[in-house]
Amino acid sequence: MTLSLIEGVLLVFVLCCAIGAAVLRDVLASLMAFAAYSLGISIIWVMLEAPDVGLTEAAVGAGIMTILFILALANTVRPQENGLFESISVPTVVLVGAFVVVMIATVPSLPAVGADGAANPVVSGEVTQYYIDNAYADTEVKNGVTAVLAAYRGFDTLGEAVVVFSAGVAALTVLRQEVFA
Amino acid sequence: MFELLNSHYNYFAVMLLLGIGLYMLIESQNLVKKVIGMNIFQTGIFLFFITLAFRAGGNPPIIKEGGGPYVSPLPHVLILTAIVVGVSLTAVALALIIRIYTEYGTLDEDKLKQLYYD
Amino acid sequence: MSSDERTGLYVESTIIMTTVRVVSPFVLTFALFVMFHGANSPGGGFQGGVIAGSVVMMLAFAYGIDAARDWLDVRVVAALASGGVLTFAAIGLGTMLLGGNFLEYHLYEQFISHVVAYAIELVELAIGGIVASVAIGLFFLLAAGFGHAVDSPEDES
Repeated sequence: MTLSLIEGVLLVFVLCCAIGAAVLRDVLASLMAFAAYSLGISIIWVMLEAPDVGLTEAAVGAGIMTILFILALANTVRPQENGLFESISVPTVVLVGAFVVVMIATVPSLPAVGADGAANPVVSGEVTQYYIDNAYADTEVKNGVTAVLAAYRGFDTLGEAVVVFSAGVAALTVLRQEVFA
Repeated sequence: MFELLNSHYNYFAVMLLLGIGLYMLIESQNLVKKVIGMNIFQTGIFLFFITLAFRAGGNPPIIKEGGGPYVSPLPHVLILTAIVVGVSLTAVALALIIRIYTEYGTLDEDKLKQLYYD
Repeated sequence: MSSDERTGLYVESTIIMTTVRVVSPFVLTFALFVMFHGANSPGGGFQGGVIAGSVVMMLAFAYGIDAARDWLDVRVVAALASGGVLTFAAIGLGTMLLGGNFLEYHLYEQFISHVVAYAIELVELAIGGIVASVAIGLFFLLAAGFGHAVDSPEDES
């Protein structure tokens, strides 16, 4: 599948927001760039036919996460320094550039975006096919994502719910508070 | 090279996002910006998973009569849970940052190092 | 000192208060729709839970974090979080008691027909409860900051 205009624009927007978050000196400005980045990437999820993930990213990444960051900033300090952008450190850029070049060297061996059949084992693999063929018969749930989440990989989801619960308990401990709300 | 960019565009974005996240993790002096960098790194990996699950002309995995072909639901589930775990992780990191600020009065990495070794 | 005074976050605004008053019931309804309808359309416990949590955050932004903290019953939040984990674990371990595997919903079929769909709905609601209450809890915790004792309702008596 070739790059369509809207996907190209979205990817450029997301990359610009990420670079903005990295180089803006003010923490609040960097945080706003990150919120815009989350919103852009949630549209990319919808373009890639993942509405569940897009809904979560829009609610969590652009919503809750930004609020939590703002609260943390309100409780700490926002350094007032001169200059809009941070100075770029050349050694780090060279190091990170080398990392990116090595990672991009692996790209030609990956299946093309939107590849089908034998070229993309994730889409055409036995596991995916089993889930799609049997999800409704096994679980009486039409949404394949919910079927995998709550039935086929339910043990995973239980562990994950416990992780969320423990994160709440951990924040209580770290901040020495006794009540949750 | 241009052909490769045209067919593998998302993977280039993944690698660049990983690079930006890594740069922020290494270079940012402010701890809050480091956490933002960690989130960007995470999202790069999410993009890799969701791109692998995508098939051209596929529909979202909501099974109905004659609705196929569908994209793969399994990576969607993994990323769905990863996003929620990511926000829990971020919240604990921010709680630790608030704690560090009340103990040391700064969030600057170099100053913290100095204060810690003194 | 209250967290509103310390952080200087709260600005009383008639426009925000009126908007939030009108919008919040619809947002809560949407959250419940996403949670209950996760079986047949995009959505589910995680998304619905986060949206439900954001209702409380919206109210806190409009009326002040301390006012929202007073209004909210701590026991409800704690009960939702721990009750969610316990419900999920009980449904999963119940099938093991009946001699099957973890979360083998079909074993409940002998008690109720079409139980699989209902059990998945219940699991989604449990997840929604955990996510919503932990999101609300983290919001109030980070707003309170470190070591500033928050008056719990039990302390006042």
